[in-house]
Amino acid sequence: MSPSTSHAPRAVGEPAGPKATTVALVGRPNCGKSSLFNQITGGSARVGNYPGITVDVLESSVDLPSGVTASFADLPGLYSVESTVARDTDEAVARTFIDRLKEQATREQAKNAAFVVVQVVDPTRLALGLRLTKELARAEVPFLVALTHADVLTAEGRELDVIGLSQRLGVPVVLVSSHDAGAKATVLGAIDDHLRALTASQPSKSFDPVRLAREVVRDLPPTAEVTRRRALTERLDGLLLGPVIGPLLFVAVMALVFAAVFLVADPVTEVIDKLVALAKSAIERRLGDGLLSSFLSDGILSGAGTVLAFMPQIVILAVALELLEASGYLARGAFLVDRTLRLMGLSGRSFLPLLMGHACAIPAISATRVVRDPRERLTTILVLPLMTCSARLPTYGLVLAAFFAGSSAFFRAALFVGLYFASILMALVVSLVLRRTATKGKGLPLVLEMPAYRVPQGGVVARKAYHTARRFLRDVGTTIVVCSAILWGALKVPMPGAHPPEGTAPIEASIAATVGRAIEPLTRPAGFDWRIDVGLIGSFGQRELMVATLGIVYGIESAEDEPAPLAQKLSEAKRPDGSPLYGVRTGLAILVFFMLAAQCMSTIAAIKRETKSWKWAGFVVGYTYALAYCAAVLVYQLGALFGLP
Amino acid sequence: MSSTETLDGAALGLLVRIVALHLDEESAAWLAAVGIAPGEECIVLRRAALGGPLHVRLVSGGEFAVAREIARKLDVTRVST
Repeated sequence: MSPSTSHAPRAVGEPAGPKATTVALVGRPNCGKSSLFNQITGGSARVGNYPGITVDVLESSVDLPSGVTASFADLPGLYSVESTVARDTDEAVARTFIDRLKEQATREQAKNAAFVVVQVVDPTRLALGLRLTKELARAEVPFLVALTHADVLTAEGRELDVIGLSQRLGVPVVLVSSHDAGAKATVLGAIDDHLRALTASQPSKSFDPVRLAREVVRDLPPTAEVTRRRALTERLDGLLLGPVIGPLLFVAVMALVFAAVFLVADPVTEVIDKLVALAKSAIERRLGDGLLSSFLSDGILSGAGTVLAFMPQIVILAVALELLEASGYLARGAFLVDRTLRLMGLSGRSFLPLLMGHACAIPAISATRVVRDPRERLTTILVLPLMTCSARLPTYGLVLAAFFAGSSAFFRAALFVGLYFASILMALVVSLVLRRTATKGKGLPLVLEMPAYRVPQGGVVARKAYHTARRFLRDVGTTIVVCSAILWGALKVPMPGAHPPEGTAPIEASIAATVGRAIEPLTRPAGFDWRIDVGLIGSFGQRELMVATLGIVYGIESAEDEPAPLAQKLSEAKRPDGSPLYGVRTGLAILVFFMLAAQCMSTIAAIKRETKSWKWAGFVVGYTYALAYCAAVLVYQLGALFGLP
Repeated sequence: MSSTETLDGAALGLLVRIVALHLDEESAAWLAAVGIAPGEECIVLRRAALGGPLHVRLVSGGEFAVAREIARKLDVTRVST
């Protein structure tokens, strides 16, 4: 096996050498395709770079027994190559890939390019898999069938007539188990023979999948093990899908995932933060405290630190998602919460991403890949920034301390909880509006296959986590570092021609302060002045920076670590006439603004990555800021009507 | 021949056969590709609370969560065993 290292974009099936051979693995979701791919490639896959293919297709080069090197591609799961599906779904991607292979082979007249499709079929659900087999035959795609889960078939007390099935289908059929060490050799041998035309292949197009499955699969007399296994599945479903226990267990499992993302990732993130701080100190020692040092330290390194700080969350979430999906539990969870989410115009599949959004929107946006309906997935992505993520908490804490110090602890706690519920309510409203406007259209019928319970394979889980992390670094990471550098410029570089009064903080002459003063008339109806505007500009990239930026404006060192002096300054700030600069209304307006505005460049970058478009990333910035501004003005003005200071 | 009802109304644990899909052509084709097509025999195992989906097992293999509004558009007849 010799993994290729080429990453240059090329057409599907484009010759990489004298004669390019492509083997595409296709099959229904949860058919065992990824496990088989992992076993064949030994986990050495990389993400293929194919123009026009919008989701990751893993590929790896493998030597066949004849010595020919073939490029193996693990295509996304698909049910059909005939029925109409929306563009950008996994199914459409798989279909485009196969179509291009066919075109390529026709164009090259099979001289320079060869390809074969390996349809991976779960033999415990043979009739379902044979529907796709029939479609592949009708599409005149060269293919063979690899039946996986031979061990599960035996454990379920059934046997399959492989030779009979091969004769009836008119294509080679092999039966393997992903735990069997010989599976790789069996499948590679069958592919090699097929490519060298050593095996006859005249696919039948006229069989009845259900009848054929009945004819070739035989039930054996049930053993004690078979009976135990069947009873276990029944008991598990009875418990996990029960009307009372089921939802409670589901909430517990989701809480566990939520806690893992928070608790396990936190210590790792702290170590990363310390390493970044050490690197910053080293830069300052070497370059002093000039602009270059500040740029490298606060502009570049801070951005890189943000990227790395998200990595533990991303990896843990990828592992958790794969475990839930591969074990068969994710589909059960979707079954339980589907009705509730339909009130939002979504379905059960969207639950996990929405829950994760309360920890951090970045991994949650990646998690929307479990949603098969593209419109529903887009809607989920667009409302995710409204969830109360952990980054909002420092600002909520500062505002509560500065503007509500005189209120009771109960009132402040109620306000805090109210912000969580208000964000969920707003997500509900926005989702309903989007489903009737920007993302309207017919969705896929809600029919989810409930896969059998299986023990996830460590190698497959690790591979998915690795590729998710790499993709995040590559696609989101670069955007974050660039945005961080731009924000540094806005906060640190003096506006040309600006001359701040003697004794004022340097930030008052910055581009951000100039912009803050310019937009003050616009934000005044919400109770904001230029100082708060600078805080909002500083927090555009990251919400947490609101506290640090306001600290700089008010000349307080390390406000992000100890916000009490800043809170006091804010509550004591006066207008020239001696009246308080900010009141309770200002605090409420800031809270509402922070609740709704998508102040997180990492989230925006992640949306761009997942939707493959700046249009939707811009849409999120536009609608959340417009909503935040209108809500802040409304709260501030209504507060005046109610006589709030 | 027993009378026709919708899958939504089928009793739990009863073997029924899908006889018609009252869906647009595209949706019906997709459902058929997934595995739910006229001629398939199935059993409703459970219903999710508050009008949630049905948990359905196909006799030919495979289990599905089927939304109620889809289940209401599938005509079924009882299969005598």
